[in-house]
Amino acid sequence: MAGKNVDRMTLIEHIAQSFTLSKLIFAITLTFFLVSILFPFYWMISSSFKSYAEIGGRAPVYVPSALRLDAFRELFDPNYPQFQDFGRNILNSVQVAVPTALIAVVLSTLGAYAVARLRFRGKNLFLNGILLVYLFPAVLLIIPLFAMLAQIGARLGFRVQDNFPVLILTYLAQTLPVALYMLSNYFRTIPAEIEQAGLIDGCSRMGVIWRITLPLSIPALVSVAIYTFMIAWNEFLYALVFLNTRTMFTMPIKINTLFNNPSPRPHVVMAASTIMTIPVVILFLALERFLEKGLTAGGVKG
Amino acid sequence: MLKTSSYRSGLRWHSLRAQESRLAWLLTSPTALIVFGLIIFPAIFSIWISFHDVTLRNLNDVFHAPFVGLQNYRRVIGDFAFPEAVINSVVYSVSSTVLTVLIGLIAALLLNRPFRARGAVRALFLFPYVAPIVSVAFVWRWILDPRPSGVLNDILMRLGLINAPIAYLSTRGLALLLVIVFEAWRYFPFAMLMILARLQAIDRTLYEAASVDGAGVWHKFRSITIPELRYVLGAVFLLRLIWTFNKFDDIYLMTGGGFGTNVLPVLTYQFSFGAFNFGKGAATAMILLGILVLFLLIYANTVMKGEE
Repeated sequence: MAGKNVDRMTLIEHIAQSFTLSKLIFAITLTFFLVSILFPFYWMISSSFKSYAEIGGRAPVYVPSALRLDAFRELFDPNYPQFQDFGRNILNSVQVAVPTALIAVVLSTLGAYAVARLRFRGKNLFLNGILLVYLFPAVLLIIPLFAMLAQIGARLGFRVQDNFPVLILTYLAQTLPVALYMLSNYFRTIPAEIEQAGLIDGCSRMGVIWRITLPLSIPALVSVAIYTFMIAWNEFLYALVFLNTRTMFTMPIKINTLFNNPSPRPHVVMAASTIMTIPVVILFLALERFLEKGLTAGGVKG
Repeated sequence: MLKTSSYRSGLRWHSLRAQESRLAWLLTSPTALIVFGLIIFPAIFSIWISFHDVTLRNLNDVFHAPFVGLQNYRRVIGDFAFPEAVINSVVYSVSSTVLTVLIGLIAALLLNRPFRARGAVRALFLFPYVAPIVSVAFVWRWILDPRPSGVLNDILMRLGLINAPIAYLSTRGLALLLVIVFEAWRYFPFAMLMILARLQAIDRTLYEAASVDGAGVWHKFRSITIPELRYVLGAVFLLRLIWTFNKFDDIYLMTGGGFGTNVLPVLTYQFSFGAFNFGKGAATAMILLGILVLFLLIYANTVMKGEE
């Protein structure tokens, strides 16, 4: 007994010794991570509150002297000389992202229910087919999509460019596969017995989905909605190709134009970026626990 | 249903199965239609375009575009920008993926040990991945501003590490390196989440047993943690490699493909929507996909077989 006790003492001492060193390394690494993650965000937000003189000065201003709203006035105040009408771009982004999220939730719910609960021929073909999305680069698809939709548009009389429904459709194609996988995995965790009870009680399939499955899946439905909303809100390439007129630009394209302005005003770019980032980060923080599953299960394909 | 005769219930069973199948097709058809129409068909159509002379002029009459055989491919391969783009694509995607997985692993190990405010730190760690790409790319460009007033230049000059301001994103070599670092900064949270989930599933008793046997921290890490993480590390590596290889936004926004950072996706965009030569663009995209598929085949035949 005595010998064992001594052993344990030396072991504890050993741990205590290495613990302080590992604690130091831990603290340093954690600080390094936090600084390199947070500094860009601090720089984005603080730059947006700087005046033109502060942003264009000979040395960077680390802490703005006051919360100057010059950049925000340029974005939103119609009486400002270089008024950018950014409110219009926010509205455009909402008009693209909200319908994408709503339609994606409805369509992926239907598809995911079939995949999780029903037996049908071609199920594996369907599942493998939609997974191909992961393999094809967006730049490969955009050329034929553009040519194809231009062709269809010429026949049916709609414009390919500056047409939000076209953009929404392409975002649906990108997000539906992941949304469907996320939801069908969730549906599988709901015991089938509950649904069978509903069927025996005389509910139709659609009745079962509406009255039993959906109310039980609200967390999953919300995370799919947020996930698709975020993709549509952040998307750059398709919007760049499909939007041509300034008044139709979504936020990412508008910010790109602002950045490439011949007389650069970084505080305006940073203010617009802050405005675009805040809703996504708030949504994400509010629903972090639900979303993480989705992020790891499907990835944002980004 | 239980009270009907066996004959009738048999009939109903069959019709129920058929009904189920019909319902399933009905439910999956919108998704199938959208994914087929806007992904699979365009992907096949892209092969067709790559063999035809499609420009802005005949875009509205694309099906009558003249067949040109391999001409688009020859022009792409003969383009002065092509060899560099291929090499850059490989260097950029492989090294940023390795760095992403490595940093993700370190972050996951950090967050795997309990400490105060761990939940909050974990949420903060995900910010680079969640924020819109346009925002973070432009913040980084603003931080890397080449003027003496650029914040990184200012910090490094104050610390005495450099004497004169550096034009980070317009210096060949350095620009590519910084784009790789930016990728790792943005995407390590994805690797971290996947690795962390696996780390937390490792059986604690393995470590306890190793401690009793007198194994040190490093030894435990090498002989328990790494083998347990092998599959998830491989999966993250493969996924990120595919996505990075296909990635357009990040490099386009950071450098526009200039200063030795051009990659195949950006080159595809430049041919298609800069020069409006869609045939040449499609050929570039097919070469990009070809390299990817070739890599996946080699990977499946060597790495995956070797693991069995």
